[in-house]
Amino acid sequence: MKMEELIRFGEKFFDELEIAIYKNRDASVNIELNEVSSSMLRERAVTVIRGVKGKKLGVSIIDTGDKEKIKEAIERAYKMAKLNKPDEKWTSLPEPGKYREPRKVDKELKEVSPDYFVDLAREGISLALEEQGIVVAGGTGGVEWGESLIMNSHGVNVSQEGGGAFFYLELVGMREGRVTPGIFDFDAKLSLNLNVEEVVRKALQKVKWAFNVKKSKTEEARVILEPWAISSLLSYALFPAFSGEKLVKGTTPLANKVNESISNELLTICDDPLHELSINPVIADDEGVPTRKNVLVEKGVFNGFIWDNYWAKLQGVESTGNAKRSLATGGISIGFHNVIIEKGKKSLEDLVGEIDHGYLVDGFQGAHSSNPDNGNFAVVANPAFLIKDGEVKGSTVFMMSGNIYELLPSLYEVSKEQRVLPFEGSMIVPAMAFENVRIAGK
Amino acid sequence: MEDRLESVLNWALEKFKAEYIEIRYENVNKNTLELKDGTFTTFAGKGQMGVAIRVLADGAWGFASTNRLEQLENAIESAYKLARATAKVKKEKIQLAEVKAHQDIVKSKMKVKPREVPIEEKVERLAELEGLLKADKSIKSTWLRYEDASGEKILLTNEGTKIKWDLNYVWQYVWATGKEGEKLAAARDEVGAVEHGWELFKEREPNEEVAKRVLRKVHAQLQGVVPKRGEFPIVAGPIVVGIIAHEALGHLAEADLTINSPFKDLIGREVAPEHVTMSERIVEGGFGNDRYDDEGVPVKDIHIIENGTLKQIMLNREYAHKWGMEPNGHARAENYTYPPIIRMRNTIFEPRDWKFEEMIEDIKFGYYVVDFRGGQAQLNSAFQVGVQEGYMIENGEITKPIRDTSISGIAIEALKKISAVGKDFGLEMGRCGKGQSAFVSSGGPHMRFDGGIIIG
Repeated sequence: MKMEELIRFGEKFFDELEIAIYKNRDASVNIELNEVSSSMLRERAVTVIRGVKGKKLGVSIIDTGDKEKIKEAIERAYKMAKLNKPDEKWTSLPEPGKYREPRKVDKELKEVSPDYFVDLAREGISLALEEQGIVVAGGTGGVEWGESLIMNSHGVNVSQEGGGAFFYLELVGMREGRVTPGIFDFDAKLSLNLNVEEVVRKALQKVKWAFNVKKSKTEEARVILEPWAISSLLSYALFPAFSGEKLVKGTTPLANKVNESISNELLTICDDPLHELSINPVIADDEGVPTRKNVLVEKGVFNGFIWDNYWAKLQGVESTGNAKRSLATGGISIGFHNVIIEKGKKSLEDLVGEIDHGYLVDGFQGAHSSNPDNGNFAVVANPAFLIKDGEVKGSTVFMMSGNIYELLPSLYEVSKEQRVLPFEGSMIVPAMAFENVRIAGK
Repeated sequence: MEDRLESVLNWALEKFKAEYIEIRYENVNKNTLELKDGTFTTFAGKGQMGVAIRVLADGAWGFASTNRLEQLENAIESAYKLARATAKVKKEKIQLAEVKAHQDIVKSKMKVKPREVPIEEKVERLAELEGLLKADKSIKSTWLRYEDASGEKILLTNEGTKIKWDLNYVWQYVWATGKEGEKLAAARDEVGAVEHGWELFKEREPNEEVAKRVLRKVHAQLQGVVPKRGEFPIVAGPIVVGIIAHEALGHLAEADLTINSPFKDLIGREVAPEHVTMSERIVEGGFGNDRYDDEGVPVKDIHIIENGTLKQIMLNREYAHKWGMEPNGHARAENYTYPPIIRMRNTIFEPRDWKFEEMIEDIKFGYYVVDFRGGQAQLNSAFQVGVQEGYMIENGEITKPIRDTSISGIAIEALKKISAVGKDFGLEMGRCGKGQSAFVSSGGPHMRFDGGIIIG
């Protein structure tokens, strides 16, 4: 039986239906306390059925890609639909669209054994331990391979496959009774070409800074937010505001801001899974709608919202190909594939070099406690470093609270280096420097 | 199913030379509903079934998971080979603390299991809760999530452990956004249980109570003022006390993390005033309650801090051996796709004898923090907790609400500043992420910190 026949089978029950099958294989090793402690191979197939009958939605999820079981799941979804109430706002599932050319896939990733990462991890650990007073507290290295098929009764039928490899290390410095915060660094690529040496070098640099503890003041200062820090802050305080669903519901602070400036011309933000550096190169979203490049902010000016099929149809606009499915609930929500923040002209080194007194922030604690409905945040900069006379002098901790829409206009420089982060799919992010940032020191 | 699992285990014992083999089978049916502003965006029935296999061979772990039962033998072979490959580079061989092998059936304590409740009733209850929230004019958007599960879990090991669980839970999460003028505010609320079934929503957390609580949090923020930044006396309610216990201190007492934390050198030492006791134990209604962990070890109550002294930490069998201690039942796995790791269950401060009024009466200026939205901590116990409900204390009285702020500090320093421990007790349900998710609860009495916590 062909997969398409499952759609025909489902049409006996539903006005329209969608079948999404995801097969994943991941192989990884785990690092604990200076050693590789375990290896893991996980395989999983999940099928999600979404059917609509008389505007009533029914969903079922099963842990298999087996066709007979999928038939049972279709019947179960139908039972659920019968129990649901009609959604009068429901229009229809997506129609077929034209996809861009998929990226070439590295098939080597599909079969690689965890043994490969045992060696990689061992290399990383021994490099890190060459330094005195270092503990490799944790880490992991591995590869994820995924295959998906999205079909619906309107003729959408798109299959994709691909994989990526990642490696991260968390180091803790212990010297003379002082324990540094856990400091991590990572690499993620669409091939096995991971740069372990660079991961270790970067993490070690930060641990060395962290041994030397400096006080921070309560003041207004220049603050450089490194990629991991800025991406976590924006992901929780700003990005949810780009959702079309929130526009419809009137809960986004960007509701009346299209074509208005929210920052300055240094800030350009796009979402494009097929960007050359993307590690999440999907040609279709989780509803089978073609993905595309969506410009969200261009030279500081807010350009518009992102949409999935449901909210777009409700608003009378087109889906921007930003539907994401939760395999836990089967629910679709609006999300990003690969956010790119455009790079600037100066190197991070120059940005640091130009600061007489200021701070460099590697990570934030508590970014996820930000309020996406108004942009308020109150986060702890940790790990963070004090910059004095153009040089990093030591580590510090401070609190930064405010509102993202007040912070963004004080952006004064963006670094020319960007990092690829395996964050909510993938993100490509430079370091961003802000002036007159109010901080509360410790 | 048990026969199939046992025969695979026996096959593996003959074929491979391993110190330890563990097979964990899970077959759970779930109902997941999401109600977003009048529409059920998720209305799902879910079947989750698969097997986790863990093998310890030559002193290293190999893990494999699969949902293809016909390929169980292959999965065991994979786990074995992975362990062998890892062992080649492992200097310190992993050993497990000895435990008694248990054979048991863990029955559910629920009065009404979720599978006995018709979906129509689940739908109606959510719709009613939404109605109660939306009856308030300032509520602009609501997102209600509900999930329940009923099923079984079977654990078999080559040491003779054979435990079968009747596995059930109910869980509900509310996110509400309010708006007044240009001011937007949001609040979250989470409840859940593994030992109370549908009765949770009938008896303990009826819709009226939940709605009242959510609306109070939203309004506190809409009317809230921005707090002064700085270090002031802080009185923390049970939910905030709980998140400090969990995030800032609890994680440090998970043996795999203790080893890299300041707790490592503090065991047996005084870390807090004598009136402070923090436990990790079975609590009535606790979301982390269970009889055995996922290594088949009975769950035991421990005191992380007892009368001010750092005493015990959470262990699995591997770390119990490493530390020369008794395992205490803290190895937990989210589901069959994960190996068990050291996790909290219910982390709480024990009550003492202060009344709330006595705690605040001599505070000229300070803050009362009631509920949080998100919290995070570092291995050095530096923590940050977003505050979603809080008030000013002025001249011994609770006055204006505050909005969108957070508290932070170094927990092992803040502990020393605890000047009063209340006689009341409250518990908050939640999910903890440590690479995998686990149901946990945390709580305690009201407590007062004279310094050590920064607000703003």
